[in-house]
Amino acid sequence: MTNTATPLNNRGGDAGESRLKAAIFNEFSWIWGGTILLFVVCAIVAPGVIKPGAINTMLPFAAILAITAVGMTIVIQQRGLDMSLPGTMTLSGLLFAKIGFLTDSTLLAVPATLLIAVVIGSVNGLLVARVNITPIVTTLATNAILLGAVRTISGGSYMTAPEELAAFSHSRVAGIPTTVILAVLFIIVVSLVTKRSVAGRRFVAVGANPAAATAAGIPILRYQVATYAVAALCYAVAGMLFTGYIGTASHIAGNDYLLPAIAAVVVGGTPFSGGRGSVIASGIAALFMTLLGQMVLALGADTSVQLLVQALAIIIAVTIRYLPQLFLFFR
Amino acid sequence: MAEGTIFLQMTGVSKHFPGVRALHGITFDVRAGEVHGLVGENGAGKSTLMGVASGSLVATEGEVRIAGEPVQGDPERARDLGLSIVHQEPALMPDLSVAENLYLGLPKKLRPPPSNLNGWARKLLKHWSEDVAIDPRAHVTTLNAEQRFIVEIVKALECEPKVLVLDEPTEHLATEDVERLFERVRRVTERGASVVYISHRIREVQMIADRLTVLRDGEGQGTFDAKELNEDQIVSLIVGGDLDRSFPDKAESGDHPVVLSTSGFSGPGFSNVSLEVRAGEILGLAGISDNGQVEFMRSLAGIYRGAGRVTLAGKDISIRNSQEAKRHGISYLPGDRHREGIFGELSVRENFSIRSSRADVRSGLISSGSERSRTNKAIRQFAVKTPHQETPIGSLSGGNQQKVVLSSVLSAEPRVLLVDEPTQGVDVGARAEIYRILRETARSGVAIIVVSSDAQEVAGLSDNVAIFSRGRVVEVLSGDRVTEDNITSSVLKSTEQRDKHHRSVGAFWKWAAGNSAPLLMVAAAILLLGTVAGIWNPFYVSPRSVTGMMTFAATLALVGYGQQLLMMVGGIDLSVGPLMGLCQVVASFFLLSDAGLGTQLAGWVLLILVALTVGLINWILVDGLRMHPMVATLATFMGVQAISLILRPTPAGMIDGKIMIALGTKIGIVPVTFIIAVLVAIVLEFVLYKRSIGVSMRGLGSRPEAARTAGIRPKLTRLIAYLGCSLFAGIAAITMIAQVGIGDPRAGLSFTLGSIAAIVIGGASLFGGRGSFIGALLGAIFIVQVNSVTVFLGLSQEWQQYLLGALILLSVAIYSKSREKVVQA
Repeated sequence: MTNTATPLNNRGGDAGESRLKAAIFNEFSWIWGGTILLFVVCAIVAPGVIKPGAINTMLPFAAILAITAVGMTIVIQQRGLDMSLPGTMTLSGLLFAKIGFLTDSTLLAVPATLLIAVVIGSVNGLLVARVNITPIVTTLATNAILLGAVRTISGGSYMTAPEELAAFSHSRVAGIPTTVILAVLFIIVVSLVTKRSVAGRRFVAVGANPAAATAAGIPILRYQVATYAVAALCYAVAGMLFTGYIGTASHIAGNDYLLPAIAAVVVGGTPFSGGRGSVIASGIAALFMTLLGQMVLALGADTSVQLLVQALAIIIAVTIRYLPQLFLFFR
Repeated sequence: MAEGTIFLQMTGVSKHFPGVRALHGITFDVRAGEVHGLVGENGAGKSTLMGVASGSLVATEGEVRIAGEPVQGDPERARDLGLSIVHQEPALMPDLSVAENLYLGLPKKLRPPPSNLNGWARKLLKHWSEDVAIDPRAHVTTLNAEQRFIVEIVKALECEPKVLVLDEPTEHLATEDVERLFERVRRVTERGASVVYISHRIREVQMIADRLTVLRDGEGQGTFDAKELNEDQIVSLIVGGDLDRSFPDKAESGDHPVVLSTSGFSGPGFSNVSLEVRAGEILGLAGISDNGQVEFMRSLAGIYRGAGRVTLAGKDISIRNSQEAKRHGISYLPGDRHREGIFGELSVRENFSIRSSRADVRSGLISSGSERSRTNKAIRQFAVKTPHQETPIGSLSGGNQQKVVLSSVLSAEPRVLLVDEPTQGVDVGARAEIYRILRETARSGVAIIVVSSDAQEVAGLSDNVAIFSRGRVVEVLSGDRVTEDNITSSVLKSTEQRDKHHRSVGAFWKWAAGNSAPLLMVAAAILLLGTVAGIWNPFYVSPRSVTGMMTFAATLALVGYGQQLLMMVGGIDLSVGPLMGLCQVVASFFLLSDAGLGTQLAGWVLLILVALTVGLINWILVDGLRMHPMVATLATFMGVQAISLILRPTPAGMIDGKIMIALGTKIGIVPVTFIIAVLVAIVLEFVLYKRSIGVSMRGLGSRPEAARTAGIRPKLTRLIAYLGCSLFAGIAAITMIAQVGIGDPRAGLSFTLGSIAAIVIGGASLFGGRGSFIGALLGAIFIVQVNSVTVFLGLSQEWQQYLLGALILLSVAIYSKSREKVVQA
């Protein structure tokens, strides 16, 4: 104990101040600054990107990415990684269209699709937590199976989305796209549950240290399985919204979301060590990554450059957070 | 060697851990030919001192000289200079065989040629005892504690050390082995070398030691001639009189109701235990460690399953898991704080409130105001030294961590409190604090059970003490009879030896957990599938079809070898797929029919350079910037793919036909690339099991800390693995040229999943240390076979995916289950 601990009884104003500091300057706050900075940079180098029209087209995609990132965040908080995102997302879009057309009822198609997603997620969770297969292997394997199912259902072609869904995905409430409202709602609810409910606290504890959680009397299996189920639910909602927005249920819809979703979580600052995490940061990071992509495109670069920039964003995001430690180390 | 030569000299050694001063200005020397006893309580700093001596820990201050040479934090050099240490917890690599562990455990000059390790190891084990029951081929995971310890001792003796350090050597040994050990120790000193004997069993030390040094709370209490002191004098040096530790008053006598009682309660490691604890009372469980007292407590906490009668306040209850225990009001304070007590990365506030979050709920949500004020109250009440509530608990000192966990456990208002090692790793000041809290808790009507390996602590704290031996309660002390002397003598009298025990494991699981099982299983599956498909559709086994499958399998196998190399050391590379694409794209600019020989040559060199560069970048990101391997290689995945797309937005650049033909050469019906893949697998497998570098790699993946102690350089080894992985991706890309024929930036993408699937089916463990290149080859063949079989069986294409997914899950489930089954203890 050389220079770290402040003396114990020095509470009051100082403690409040340091608590405020801890709340504001943590690894999840970087992304806010980064996003604001990015908007400023855009305003200078590519003002077209932040015109209302452009923002309006971009936001729904950012929203869909944010919803998938929420699911990915909670899995990473449980020391996992969910590679079954593409399969679950694509399958949900297709199932929704299929069930919608078969039963002619969106009201039935939504819960049916969500239910199937929960089953998929629970199977992932059980394989990980009960059979002890590493998350990445489990979800790679289930993703292969899900993509098989996608092929079976779609026959390898596109399917038109039900009218109602398309209308819903394009609708606006008070000028704000419904998808965006939905994404924000998702983030708020999941964040509130993980941060401010008993179940959420236990969820974080299980992710941080499963053995200690067991010793504290927390049923860890339940939380681990539920994590994958909720994640699958997120992907399913994203899949349905995407189908509605594009107007067709494609057999490849989810493929382009896996890497960006993981990238958003990493850039948002949720570490792979388990426990801590922030779905809000992931959501903001989804916006950041989408805006970054748009900026790169607006500057006349290719989609491939967009990919390169995103890769750099990941490396920089991780390195920046590691810098203070490096600094402390050399001090 | 002259009498009086000093082999180990430690001067003014201090060691600080974050928040704890483990050693303070210790001076310690070991002369040639002596047995030097090092005694002290648990946590006195004995093991830390020897950790500093052996180089596995670096001293904060002070100097260490071995045979006159200064050494600091370099285990390999310490070993070369002649210091050999036998750890209480053997530093063995669990996924390696006994023979391989012995091999890596010796200094380089003493290692035999690695071709016949098993015969060599058997001879070494015979030096210990003629009828030794340890199979040199067995994985260390399958050994029990005693066998692991014998391996560790054999390893240390074989180094012919100048200084042999034995850390609590008799804890795991049966009587005949203890005698054997003493005989070996004498033989070591006869040849002029010296032994440091660490133990808390004073009698043993007196029997064997010439001189002894006493440590107490990280301070040296002096070095003495062993014959100068009698047992009582040693004890008082160890505990420092009774001045240092004061205990609160015990419970007042009176008729308190029984809260928890067990009768005929049995479980793993203990049997037929009948005890009761009353409200307001502290029941201590004493005994030498591993005699069932901890297991008994953990079964009450619902972590292990116990059988028998448990009553709580007169009612029968069942405790099937920890939630149920908690629901009954039984709370548990774990002994292994880091593993089970704290959530290290979470804040003090979160660590405090987790066991009683419901108390903060206001209309459905946790009120942060209530949580903060409760936390503040606890911090004040328990005098926790922390900068503020949001400090991660991991950065506090051991004593403060323990106080937070204790306050958290108590905040759940238990009726029964189970405390395992209340003051382990806790500094002296905090101890008295914790004793006071426990006693006050008892006084408020809670029934407390305490396990401690420290007899003085049990004596000072408990109203009644149950002595455990070999899983049974042999004596219960109460009232005035609860004294340290009574406990110690009862413990020592009762446990003179332990039985040799070994859990039996089904023959199938034992076989399935071995290195060769995955190979045989996959090989059998390949033959079976081939036969069935061949009977169904003879075209399946036609030369054309077989050649095609071999071509694809060769490419997948080669990239699989790379992935396997990396996974062996606990890494993973998601970027191999895009890298294969990039190599191919690079080739498509140079390997053209109108290009000259020089250009083509440059193309080949560039292709390999590109691969190695990506490997180097991955390594820098992981080892230099400490990125998680998956995040790092995901970033390179995207970056590399982007570069491919920039270079070749659409497929273009026809590869020279002559190169294509050369790459497609066949011998009979077998493509040359396949022959190369098979040869490479055999060579790599040979290196992996029969060469030092291969064994080192597996060791590093199996347990990095143990590997470091064995002198393996982690960074260098990982660099080799990352470069190797990318190099193999490059070589696989070359074989892919013949199949694609054009610079296609997306051609390699599916190989990321493919390579992982192939090696996982071939038996690789994602945690490192386990795997096989032959397995990777077989896995690759199997995947290609499954993909093509669907076509020949007339199944629709989606079956490829169904089968692939199901096969991965099935094979990994079997491997993971079997490896779990054979683990001992």
